[in-house]
Amino acid sequence: MKRLILSLALLSSDVLLPATAAEPPASLAPCCRTAPTNAPPTEGSLYQLESLWTSDLGVRVPLATFGGRIQVLALFFSRCEYACPILGQDLKRVQEALPASIRDQVDFVLVSLDSERETPETLAAYRREQRLGTDHWALLTGSVDDVRELAALLGVNYRKDGRGQFAHSNLYTVLNGRGEILRQQIGLQQDPAPVVAAIRRALEPAGP
Amino acid sequence: MRAWSTWAGRSGRSTAAGVALFLSLSLLAVAGTEGMRRIPAGVYRPLFRLPDEPREEAVPAFLLDEAPVTNGEFLEFVRANRRWRRSQVRRLFADPGYLGHWQGDLEPGSAEAAGRPVVQVSWFAAKAYAAWKGRRLPTTVEWERAAAVGLTREEGARDPDHLRTVLRWYSSPMPALLPAVRSGPPNLHGVHDLHGLVWEWTQDFNAALVTGDARGDTGIERQLFCGAGAQSAPDRSDFPAFMRSGLRSSLKAAYTLPHLGFRCAADAPSAPPPSASSPSKP
Repeated sequence: MKRLILSLALLSSDVLLPATAAEPPASLAPCCRTAPTNAPPTEGSLYQLESLWTSDLGVRVPLATFGGRIQVLALFFSRCEYACPILGQDLKRVQEALPASIRDQVDFVLVSLDSERETPETLAAYRREQRLGTDHWALLTGSVDDVRELAALLGVNYRKDGRGQFAHSNLYTVLNGRGEILRQQIGLQQDPAPVVAAIRRALEPAGP
Repeated sequence: MRAWSTWAGRSGRSTAAGVALFLSLSLLAVAGTEGMRRIPAGVYRPLFRLPDEPREEAVPAFLLDEAPVTNGEFLEFVRANRRWRRSQVRRLFADPGYLGHWQGDLEPGSAEAAGRPVVQVSWFAAKAYAAWKGRRLPTTVEWERAAAVGLTREEGARDPDHLRTVLRWYSSPMPALLPAVRSGPPNLHGVHDLHGLVWEWTQDFNAALVTGDARGDTGIERQLFCGAGAQSAPDRSDFPAFMRSGLRSSLKAAYTLPHLGFRCAADAPSAPPPSASSPSKP
């Protein structure tokens, strides 16, 4: 099943990429790239998860799709009234703080906690509101169980309150190309410099 | 599930296979709830709530294992699922203590060990076991709802014998060798060992937003947890419930602890049991 989706994604990007301007940017978006399939995931890789996630661009992908590149990942939900807009801003600040030389090698993934109400449409609206480009930003929603599992792996605690808001840990996670946790940043509005430094170090050995 | 539907699709044309399918489905339905008790619909009073959240939460009826999962039962699971054996499990899903009290991949130890609750299992392993059984882990709310039931009455809080038993366990050190499951008396709904044997994983253990240590609820923790500063505890008398909450909030999903086990739950079947209803497909 996963293979099928992957190969479909592969097929569509292969077929669609050469196509001209009319094509949506979907084929370039992080969600729609092909996963590096040669190496089996390492012991600590989040890409061992078999769960499938739906992007605002309408594709269903395993997290392994994001392999091979640095990913900065946070859990959020588009209806958030408290901290999520700030968390989103924090991720944008990381992107802006990246040296131009490596900015293109880092992607950002926002995964919704709100499995029941989040849809590709609400994610797409959030993308527009927050002006998140499709070239480096992926927005995902998944099943209640799969979100609980991903959150458990990231050490994110959360619960839904009586008003349909989610109280949740404010942290984001940097994954290396193998899907291992490279660094986590706890708390809102922290200085992005240490995170940027960690990303630089991770990219250096791979170098040009 | 996927494999199952493929198989069913392939054999769908043959009536005999259809009958066999029906029979095995009925068998599954029977085996599926073996050793489980129905916990009737009830209420849960959250330990922490926001000012405008209700004091009580309705909990629909559900099924809960009569006792925690034993070493013997867990052995069947690892026999059938190689990837969950001690030597095979990936570090992401269980820390190095996983099944550390066993003597080997398929050796839980002495004959008595088979009847003791399995411990040193991670949340991922517990979850995988439950899924293998066609069940799931209870939610924290479900677990606490069942644990609040007394030995002879629904409200354990008004059952002095129940309260004494509970407090005695939470205030005593853990024995080096755990007793067998079902050593303790069943509660009103026939469920054993919710208190007095081991701590238990819940499906959403990571829903707790306060740390066990009260000092943790200031400073950095306010930064860490959105909304935590607004939480308040309406009833501070149920001390063991706070201990459980504290333990859950200190856990990570890959942790394995010497006194932390689990039991399974399932959704309650709707009112009349699905006795003779035939499959809808021809």
